[in-house]
Amino acid sequence: MKELVLIIEDNPENMYLMRYLLENHSYEVEGVITGPEGIEKAERIVPDLILLDIQLPGMDGYEVARQLRQNPVTKTIPIIAVTSYAMIGDREQALEAGANAYMEKPINPDTFVADIEKIMENIIK
Amino acid sequence: MIFRSNRQKDDQLTGWLKIWCMLIFLFLSGFLLAQTRTVKVGISQNDPKMFIEPSGKPAGIFIDILEAIAAKEDWKLEYYEGSFDAIYYRVAKGDLDLMPDVAISPTREKDLDFHKEPVLSSWSQIYTRKGLEINSILDLDGHSIAVLEKSIQQNVIESWIKGFGLKVKIIKVHNFDAAFAAVANGIADCAVSNYLYGRRHCKQYGLVDTGVVFEPATLYFATTKGKNQDLLDAIDKHLLTMKKVPNSAYYAALKRWVSKDEGFMLPAWLKFTILIVILALVLTVIYGLTLKHQVNIRTLELRKSNQEMEQRIIERTAELEKAMLKAKEADMLKSAFLATMSHELRTPLNSIIGFTGILLQELPGHINEEQRKQLTIVQNSAHHLLDLINDILDISKIESGQLDLHYESFFLNDSIDKVVKIVMPQAEKKGLELKVEISQSELEVYCDKRRLEQVILNLISNAIKFTETGYVAIIVHSEEDKYQIQVQDTGIGIAPEDLEQLFLPFHQIDTGLTRQYEGTGLGLNICLKLINMMGGTITVDSIPGKGSIFTVIMPYKKEFTG
Repeated sequence: MKELVLIIEDNPENMYLMRYLLENHSYEVEGVITGPEGIEKAERIVPDLILLDIQLPGMDGYEVARQLRQNPVTKTIPIIAVTSYAMIGDREQALEAGANAYMEKPINPDTFVADIEKIMENIIK
Repeated sequence: MIFRSNRQKDDQLTGWLKIWCMLIFLFLSGFLLAQTRTVKVGISQNDPKMFIEPSGKPAGIFIDILEAIAAKEDWKLEYYEGSFDAIYYRVAKGDLDLMPDVAISPTREKDLDFHKEPVLSSWSQIYTRKGLEINSILDLDGHSIAVLEKSIQQNVIESWIKGFGLKVKIIKVHNFDAAFAAVANGIADCAVSNYLYGRRHCKQYGLVDTGVVFEPATLYFATTKGKNQDLLDAIDKHLLTMKKVPNSAYYAALKRWVSKDEGFMLPAWLKFTILIVILALVLTVIYGLTLKHQVNIRTLELRKSNQEMEQRIIERTAELEKAMLKAKEADMLKSAFLATMSHELRTPLNSIIGFTGILLQELPGHINEEQRKQLTIVQNSAHHLLDLINDILDISKIESGQLDLHYESFFLNDSIDKVVKIVMPQAEKKGLELKVEISQSELEVYCDKRRLEQVILNLISNAIKFTETGYVAIIVHSEEDKYQIQVQDTGIGIAPEDLEQLFLPFHQIDTGLTRQYEGTGLGLNICLKLINMMGGTITVDSIPGKGSIFTVIMPYKKEFTG
């Protein structure tokens, strides 16, 4: 059975990039643009992993992570925060909000899927 | 019957009552008559023996003595004023009861009754202005003299003029005041008065007494002939008593009226001095008041300027607060701008690097060699652009104070291992040896781990970049309160003239091989800033053609954060 990844990302090119890489590595991908959509979708499909952009319009990624963690249905789903924020403290803030790991943009297409799999292994452990 | 007898009784009662009433009346009136005697006293102006004060009240030696006697005898005194002659006439006639200050003469004894004990002894004396020597009657020759008209004194002076053949001009006046004033004003050379008046007033007019004394007389109260013996007896009785007692009303009157003015006769120099002192006091008070007024004005001015200052301070503080708020807002804006820039610049780079990578991976399909070469250039340029963006953001953050340091304790060995792992592929690619020498197996340090690693990575990357053969060494020394990280290489080295500018932004040494050593030109500047922020120093030694040594010295404890 294919593993299901939910990508919450408002930039269509980045969405396309991540979706392309994951689908080429036999992942099933669902994509939404906004935080509320992501929360609603996560509760409904219960994915194996959520890739969460932090810089989202309206509700930001930190808030989305917090709400996902408060919901009993979604609270155990692994979340990787993906952000172009390079400010110090972003990483800590993302982890505090409930993300399991942090990935910095721009992603390295050569190692993207391998990095994700490594993170997943660590989380499951 | 009963009624009649009652009426008889009533008549009897009325009779008794009448008799009783009469008796009581007689007794009372007799009592009243015996106790209160109204005495009409005639007085004329003869200061200080008797006179009417400006307030209208009788005063003088005789009056004081008479009042004292009257108080004891319960006499009611009524005063009548008039000239001596008029009073004399009225008393002699019986119109008035009593007159004071009368000298006994055979003529007067015919008109009036006198008591026995004299009240005062008095005499006449000649007074003159200072500097005029009048020591005897003969000295009066050639001078003018002011005399009371129709007085005994006038008669005496006239007899002298006749008797001694003197040339003396008599100026007739109506009272002693006028006589003394005449001398004071230069109208007369001398004046005659009784010694009581003279003694009391001569200094007031600037006159001095002379040795010319005459007409001694004893003075009495006089009454209407044969009519007021009770008054005379009482006066005698009390005078005798009073004269025996030192502090009696008699002596009090003498003291009061004879020596009073003498007490006031201050020497001219003393008067002058007192005047000066008073003037000085008044001036002092005025000066004091003026000073106080000025002080008050200054105080008000100060208070006003103080208030203005306070107002200014409040305004300035408000302005500063506003400016501070603006600056804070600007800082926040800058911070937000940097975050946005970071995001907005990375997002398209994310696509470029990402899809270039996908194409190079040949995930969508096969690419030929030319396509691979060109896509690789796109990828490298994109990475270079990303490095530039990251460095610029770092510098911006440091310069605007947005870069926060996160201090923690960690083992320096671990960080060095981590960095070595990252750069190992590059070193191996160039065939360089990568040496690590650390004096301690577990060297615990305290600073911002990520930033220190960033610096070490930068220095080692640079060393590898500029070294073609030989080695790159990382040598760590620990000292008491600081540690030293050295990065040595056997590379191209740096010319002495370039060393100074090495840490400036966008400075990359011109080797003529610039394209060979691609970099942002910001790395060392960032290293310097980060190390300085953490309280450390970074220095460089180099021999061109032989190699370079970069030395970072860091304190163990946090000493300075910029």
